[in-house]
Amino acid sequence: MFHLHLRNELWKLFGKKRTYIGFGAFVLAQLAMVLLFRFTRWQREMENLLAGNGYLAQEYISALTVAVVMLLPQVILLMPLYAALVGGDLVAKEAEEGTLRMILSRPISRFRLLFVKWLAGVIFSAVLVLVLGGTALAFARIWFPWRGMFVFAPGLFNVLSADDGFRLYLFSHVFIAVNASTALGLAFMFSCFNMKPAAATILSLSLLFISLVMENIPFFERYHEWLLTYHFRTWHFVYAQPIPWERMAESLCVLLAFNLTTFLVGAAAFQARDIKS
Amino acid sequence: MIQLKNISKRFGKRSALDDLTLRVPAGEIYGLLGHNGAGKSTAIGIMLGQVWPTAGEVRICGFDVTAHRRQALQKVGAIFETPAFYDYLSGLRNLEILSSYTAPTRRRRIEEVLEWVGLAGRERSVVRSYSHGMRARLALAQALLPGPELLILDEPGDGLDPEGIHEMRQTILRLHGELKLTILLSSHYLNEVEQLCTRIAVLNQGRMVFEGTLAETRQRRKWVRLRTGDFDLAMGELRQAQLVTEQRDGQLIALGQGVGADQVVRLLVERGMPVYEIAPAEETLESFYLGLMNDQRGGVAPFTQPTTA
Repeated sequence: MFHLHLRNELWKLFGKKRTYIGFGAFVLAQLAMVLLFRFTRWQREMENLLAGNGYLAQEYISALTVAVVMLLPQVILLMPLYAALVGGDLVAKEAEEGTLRMILSRPISRFRLLFVKWLAGVIFSAVLVLVLGGTALAFARIWFPWRGMFVFAPGLFNVLSADDGFRLYLFSHVFIAVNASTALGLAFMFSCFNMKPAAATILSLSLLFISLVMENIPFFERYHEWLLTYHFRTWHFVYAQPIPWERMAESLCVLLAFNLTTFLVGAAAFQARDIKS
Repeated sequence: MIQLKNISKRFGKRSALDDLTLRVPAGEIYGLLGHNGAGKSTAIGIMLGQVWPTAGEVRICGFDVTAHRRQALQKVGAIFETPAFYDYLSGLRNLEILSSYTAPTRRRRIEEVLEWVGLAGRERSVVRSYSHGMRARLALAQALLPGPELLILDEPGDGLDPEGIHEMRQTILRLHGELKLTILLSSHYLNEVEQLCTRIAVLNQGRMVFEGTLAETRQRRKWVRLRTGDFDLAMGELRQAQLVTEQRDGQLIALGQGVGADQVVRLLVERGMPVYEIAPAEETLESFYLGLMNDQRGGVAPFTQPTTA
């Protein structure tokens, strides 16, 4: 029965057009970014940065480098937006439209229903991240060659061979998927309360935005570990040399614990509420 | 089949149900009546485990819904006033989704039910393209999957045209006759309830104010239609002689215990008042219901009249 219920949620999720807004927006944003990189000073500035550090720019201005350049802002800005948009819909939209009442007239437990919904959300997050990473690389490959990889982010400067770079590029997506499911899980939690889907999405995005702002205020530097967006940057460290496994494990634990907490809070709220038309 | 024992439900300070005790035996078509906000939908929500009662116990098919929801709802189908579906999916996919929450359902069984409700051939169209009547049939189909013994219908005729209402009524009778289902019907359409139900309960402000058979509603008060020259003057005389207990609508009287119509006529003729008509008036469910609500409010005359037998 469990697989049938999960199948239902995937049918529902991937059956509606709204789910694909995020995918479409990513494609457009990536296309715009790759064109900007290719045809503005952006590429030259990166070449200068590499040359200034003693590297041959032609060797490292590659599809992999440009793909990561595109991912950096999208993972912190666009991806949480689309994950939260879907997460906020998962329960609240069904409650608003009345289909939740149809389901709950049947002998399925609320916890089971919520769990399969959450799991479908996690699968959506993984697919969203795969598409994000895949299209970023595909667009970059159209205009840039397959060569070594250069990664430059706050606190990170590294060059890698194409093979190592691609392997790490794939690996980093595991952490990006955890970020996406965390943003989705936050909206999902609010969605379990008696509120409109848009309210659940806006609330979760507001919290993420506050976290992002606080992270960039020097006063809060000592409290970084308490900010969700700080842990969202874990995927950068995949490209560090050496990889700070301890720091990554810590962030991963924080994010997984956050996911578990939001799910349990949501489940408790959902269990307690009355479902009325 | 359904047992509500001392059920109360409060939403904040507002009491939606107050000490409601109700029993629906197997095989009945049981009507649940009441104004908007009387507590019908809350009671149904509690039966289906969607609304938590503040106090009391609810058992469906012998199982406590709060503690054993899965067993209690295993043989229950439900239709709500505005059936909601995944409009972007086909009717067939909607049925596959909804029925799977009860038990895995074979495609053959779904096709049988589609045939039964008259939706065969349209099951692969998206629900967005369905008419109101087709949506009502789809709602019925989902309620019949996989195979319920109890059907809970919450305002199933809402929004249907007269033809749709007639069709719904025939379907309910078929369900009861052919599939031997126990049916709980909550409805505003008193005419429908009167034609379908064997037993009714009336809710008012969260309390049950009547429970009984339709025959009992007709016998509860015996009204007599009296047409005379001056109804109010005649009433004064009849009350003084203690022949009537109540009056309604300027032409209906309720006779006192053991009083016959002949005594009324004799008294009025003796007082020199003409009597044009005196005949028993049969109480319809509507007049019974409105009279009951009138009693609850404390005596403002209702709007409709019983029909002359």
